[in-house]
Amino acid sequence: MDRRQFILSGIALGAASSLGIYGWNSSFDENSDNRDLVLSALLPALLYAALPEDTTMAVQVNRTKAAISDFMPYLAKRQQQELQQLFNLLANQVTQLALTGHLTAISELTMSQRWQLLANWRDSYLALLQQAYHGLRELLFAAYYGQPEHWQAINYTAPRYR
Amino acid sequence: MQHLDASQFITDQHFSADVVIIGSGAGGGIAAEQLSAAGFKVLLLEEGAYYTREQFKMEERWAYPNLYQEGAARKTKDQAIGILQGRTVGGSTTVNWTTSIRTPQQTLDYWQDQFGLNFVAENDLTAYFQLAEERLNIKQWSVAPNANNAKLQYGCEQLGWQYTVIKRNVTHCANLGYCGMGCPIDAKQSMLVSTIPAALKKGATLISRLSVRKLQWQDNQILRLEAVPVDEHFQPTASLKVTISAKHYIVAAGAIGSPALLLRSKVPNPSGRLGKHTYLHPTVISGAVFAEDINGHAGAPQSIYSDQFVWPTDSKQPGYKLEVPPIHPVLMASKLIGVGDQHAQLMKSFNQLQVTIALIRDGFHPESQGGQVVLDQDQQPVLDYPITDYIWQGMRQALLSMAELQFAAGAKQILPIHHDAKLYQNWPEAKAAIEQLSMTALRQTVVSAHVMGGCNMSATADKGVVNANGRHHQLTNLSVFDGSILPTSLGANPQLTIYALVWKNCQQLIKELSHELQPV
Ligand SMILES: Cc1cc2nc3c(=O)[nH]c(=O)nc-3n(C[C@H](O)[C@H](O)[C@H](O)COP(=O)(O)OP(=O)(O)OC[C@H]3O[C@@H](n4cnc5c(N)ncnc54)[C@H](O)[C@@H]3O)c2cc1C
Repeated sequence: MDRRQFILSGIALGAASSLGIYGWNSSFDENSDNRDLVLSALLPALLYAALPEDTTMAVQVNRTKAAISDFMPYLAKRQQQELQQLFNLLANQVTQLALTGHLTAISELTMSQRWQLLANWRDSYLALLQQAYHGLRELLFAAYYGQPEHWQAINYTAPRYR
Repeated sequence: MQHLDASQFITDQHFSADVVIIGSGAGGGIAAEQLSAAGFKVLLLEEGAYYTREQFKMEERWAYPNLYQEGAARKTKDQAIGILQGRTVGGSTTVNWTTSIRTPQQTLDYWQDQFGLNFVAENDLTAYFQLAEERLNIKQWSVAPNANNAKLQYGCEQLGWQYTVIKRNVTHCANLGYCGMGCPIDAKQSMLVSTIPAALKKGATLISRLSVRKLQWQDNQILRLEAVPVDEHFQPTASLKVTISAKHYIVAAGAIGSPALLLRSKVPNPSGRLGKHTYLHPTVISGAVFAEDINGHAGAPQSIYSDQFVWPTDSKQPGYKLEVPPIHPVLMASKLIGVGDQHAQLMKSFNQLQVTIALIRDGFHPESQGGQVVLDQDQQPVLDYPITDYIWQGMRQALLSMAELQFAAGAKQILPIHHDAKLYQNWPEAKAAIEQLSMTALRQTVVSAHVMGGCNMSATADKGVVNANGRHHQLTNLSVFDGSILPTSLGANPQLTIYALVWKNCQQLIKELSHELQPV
């Protein structure tokens, strides 16, 4: 077990035991439900004021989630596992206490609680949470602004060359 | 002309050749042409795919996963430095920004002093710079700089700072600005359109989507290499095995890939320097908002640089080179700071953003000894690059210089790319704020597109991995011909240095091989 895994399971186990729950296992398993749940909670916060406010918002969030799933397999396997572990932890209610300081599931947080959560990670004394902040931020913004549908808002047009 | 795509192989394969070259970037491309022109049977291996201009899409969402290592999301071990490196036929030259600069004399002098490398007489690089410049049509860019570069020039003029118009390796360049996504009109004279097609015409064989895993060696000789195809996401597979035997082996997998291959192969390493002293030109970024449109996505990405601060007289200060990067939506969105409203507002200024970068010249000071390539659980490389206080202090200085320059060039506001920074309205305000920024990993954004070192050359075996001609100090039929042989960073963009050094080393190798490989 490397240091990172150790810290993550340490946090998770600490949270689990403080809640009287045992047998929790930090998981690398790919669980697309967990990824979906976490992205559904974080994308609207991260992309607030960029996402359209009308009915197409859900479409854009889904598209961005799809772009993230398409991109992830190109990352080093090690990075993929770390991200997956992060998604699994964040989606798992038991770990909310330690990681987020909130008992509420990530999907039930208000928008400003989500921003607070992101800011807490950014300013955490744990390098691990800072890495989570920057890693997710880059992944999510890249997936969103990679899509031509989102270029109009920033007045960018790609040239025609052929 | 022969090209094989290893992902199409259905059974184990064995090949043999006179010379096998691992990696098809700056080093591998030059070597492939030189050695096939000299009549050797050459095999050129590349883990990326063979794309040509019709396939290049000027979209980052296509280019990054398909043309870059780790989807352009490669990071150092602590995630503090983002690293751009190519992973495709032509290597980083297929996606680079075409800036072509000869090795600074100060750097060569330092190498002579510290590593016993002597670039005079028959080792003088001048002739090889000229050959490479002719081969790749390297000429001063004669078109007016785009606004992003013009602001750098204007700021320098206002402050009386040095600047230079850049030489570029292009032919009939349409000034599109998409060099980083693969040139869609074959104007950029990368290895993909120059040396590699020439080598194939002369009988070389290219095998793409093949990841070399290990060199097998005994006594002082490499016996064969082992490789595997990659899957559609460029991950090495275990489906089948490819072995290759050759008389001579040239490792040119780039400054992370080459040390990784040699570490996996556990080759002799008496100097202890293999995979160590890896340099990055660690780079910090400063954004500036102008009243007028800058459109940093259009036009030659780099056409002006400033060397005002590269060689400071006070040797306690790290030097840094000022340049600009191309500005595209994904690159910008992932580097701009903040989330939510703050980020969205910054993105609205996308076309008005001017971006300056400062590349720190690392490797010339006891407190700047670079990073170390290590292998992860899958035997894939990770670069551990701790940033020292000496480097942080140079970065703060660089942020100050860039802010001063951008205000002098007429910026309305500037934004150092640091996670505690804000938009600053004038130079005194920016100066006071930058002096207070906490220069620590992850709070200060750091990037690199120049990976160097890890198999450094040295006159004697105790100070490096290869000799002055790129030949391995211990294994007699092994050469390393790429950016990994550089003993320090350069203080200049690396491609032309690599072209010239490898060209010279090939000429030497051809002479040596014609003696060593007498037909039996
Ligand atoms: C975005 C970007 C912009 C740049 N701009 C400039 C510029 O304007 N001017 C400049 O001078 N320099 C620039 N550079 C840097 C320059 O392109 C590199 O320094 C140079 O190409 C390095 O040459 P190399 O031979 O060491 O490695 P590379 O050119 O990176 O080639 C190495 C190749 O080896 C392959 N490989 C790695 N491991 C294996 C393996 N195990 N098996 C098979 N193949 C393998 C890789 O896929 C890659 O294709 C830029 C780089 C980037 C990424």
